[in-house]
Amino acid sequence: MGVLRPPPRLLPGGRLSARSPVAVEARDLSKVYRRWGRTRAFGTLKSALLGRGFGKVLEPSETVSALSAVSFDVRRGETFGVIGANGSGKSTLLKLVAGLFKPTSGTLRVDGKVSALIELGAGFHPEISGRENVVINGVMLGLTRREIERKLPSIIEFSGLSEFIDEPVKTYSSGMYVRLGFAVAVHVDPDVLVVDEVLAVGDEAFARRCLDTIKEFSARGKTIFFVSHSLALVEELCDRVLYLSGGRVAGLAEPREMLAAYRLDVSAGEGTRLLAEHAVEQASLRAEESVPVPGPATASAPETASEVEAPPAERARRWGDRSATIDGVRLLGAAGDERYAFRTGEPVTVEIEATPARPLSDFVFGVGLFTPEDVCVHGTNTEIDGFMPGEFDGPARVRLAIGSCDLGPGTYLIDVAVHARNGTPYDYWRGACRFRVDSPRPEAGIWSPERSWSIDGGVSWART
Amino acid sequence: MERLRDLWRHRALVGVLVAREVKARYRGSVLGFFWSLLNPLLMLAVYALVFQLLLPNRSPSTSPYALFLFCGLLPWNWLSSSISDGAASLLTHGALLRKILFPAEVLPAVAVFAQGVHFLLALPVLLAALLAGAFGAFGPRVPLGWALVQVPLLLILQAVLLLGIALFLSALTVHFRDVKDLLQTVLSVLFFATPILYTLKDLPKGRITGLLALNPFAPLFSGWHDALFYGRFSPPGTWAAATGISLVALAIGWAFFDRLRDSFPEAV
Repeated sequence: MGVLRPPPRLLPGGRLSARSPVAVEARDLSKVYRRWGRTRAFGTLKSALLGRGFGKVLEPSETVSALSAVSFDVRRGETFGVIGANGSGKSTLLKLVAGLFKPTSGTLRVDGKVSALIELGAGFHPEISGRENVVINGVMLGLTRREIERKLPSIIEFSGLSEFIDEPVKTYSSGMYVRLGFAVAVHVDPDVLVVDEVLAVGDEAFARRCLDTIKEFSARGKTIFFVSHSLALVEELCDRVLYLSGGRVAGLAEPREMLAAYRLDVSAGEGTRLLAEHAVEQASLRAEESVPVPGPATASAPETASEVEAPPAERARRWGDRSATIDGVRLLGAAGDERYAFRTGEPVTVEIEATPARPLSDFVFGVGLFTPEDVCVHGTNTEIDGFMPGEFDGPARVRLAIGSCDLGPGTYLIDVAVHARNGTPYDYWRGACRFRVDSPRPEAGIWSPERSWSIDGGVSWART
Repeated sequence: MERLRDLWRHRALVGVLVAREVKARYRGSVLGFFWSLLNPLLMLAVYALVFQLLLPNRSPSTSPYALFLFCGLLPWNWLSSSISDGAASLLTHGALLRKILFPAEVLPAVAVFAQGVHFLLALPVLLAALLAGAFGAFGPRVPLGWALVQVPLLLILQAVLLLGIALFLSALTVHFRDVKDLLQTVLSVLFFATPILYTLKDLPKGRITGLLALNPFAPLFSGWHDALFYGRFSPPGTWAAATGISLVALAIGWAFFDRLRDSFPEAV
């Protein structure tokens, strides 16, 4: 497993003369973390010497694979983003590219000097002044003393800490600390800049400034390897995006395509979680006793929900006189599968199971759709839609099919009810269901209609 | 050999870090660097008081005893503080190894050299004491002269020895955290097993004495006593032993450190 590394990056001027068009080349990169398990946790020198052979204790007892068979090329001058859920191997990949860790197998070639913005100000000594720390940090990051002395004024200017630069670093706020660290790191003038989630710290103005610096780096033809959870930032900055999932490459393409794929995967995962949550929710609603209500005036049946004021949050989640009882509510997908995560435009079916206490001839089934802020998105019932009640004398299953769920991305709540035609609730479940809608595009608002654009005249579009 | 070149390449880094350690240590104290002078001075004063007045000397070969003790104790302080700092160095600065691309071997080296600076700062006090001793300030006169030219050589040998030990122990401590605790005990045993409070020649002949002569620190400390206290040139045998031990320690330390090197960023 030949691991090709650039010449020592800590050397001043350790640049390659021959410029290949590829700045970072990863082939079948794998990283296996060793875990020493129980023997390790209590492993002491004594036990190593007395017990098994010395070498054996240093052998790992368990391994965890963080990255497997990851291959990609980062072109010179490209801003390359890496996205993925927590634990998908982003940080490991970052540390491999930064040269902190070595790959277990595969090859990684990084062409040029690397500077990693992983932890800013790592290695600052609290007792000595900011100025001295800048010098030391610069040497740590591979500058010569002369270089750093020359860049010192510019670094101090960039950090905006000239007033405090001769104070010990221990008196700095965490924001000042990071600013100074960032100032040094960008002055190292790397060929490849590895950026972790560092822009999350510091105030708005400084974050903007960091971003501008990164863009400026990019404009100067530097290669940037960017890892972030901020998808907006990834979309703004990156030319191409690598999507990692479970330590493997799930995709490598331009940002829009990859972010869409990532968003959909996230919502799929969310769906599994919501399904489990729904079961718990239903059980608790079923167990809840209905609160008797004095009269139809205070009862907000679904069909009036949009007209009367939204029910206050502290109101009971279930009420009615139980002339009929709702036994359960489910959401079904196009294939009749129960789920609580949908994509914009997919068909959704609301299924209500209900049993009357005695045969009823006055009954209405209603469904209301709300946002978490209690804005009614839609409310309808069997009466509104033209069904005249006949007989309700045994367990029934009522389905409302919505052909196309034209909702914007977000979480929505469903109220269901059985009530009399005058509004007297038999059984009203507030927030009986909660579901998520995701859209492959980061559109805004709760309505996502099917749409198209057409423009005539002097407008043309770049190829995307 | 290649690795030694690495360390040489990182000399700028070692340099600034040593300076930082030394500076940070005195930052905030009124007397600053003077503590490096004052401490050994106070130490000498206490020894002089105890061994001139309270516990008069027994053996003529180590008289004046306060001065004799001083000559061995200063190098020992360098040795013991370097070893305990060096052993802990990778763990103390773990963030550097995890967060930035940092040559790990620099850390134990910095521990050894920073403590070396403190030793060098104490050296003028030692020389002044020897000068005073040469005029009989501590009782019997001590010879002072050309033997002092051995001092730089002893410095280098001790630095090489300490570097080897610090590299070895720092790598070991990453994987076995209890080395640090064990070390305190081992160092205090070694203090008595090393000719600092006595000379090997003065000991009664026997098996124990033979064992003490095998102590890897013994030749070096005989060297310090010869150069500083007795004002004579050490026999070639002592030099050969001290040189050999230092080089072997460095070779072993470096090889061991290098073998475990890749595990450091993940294990610290």
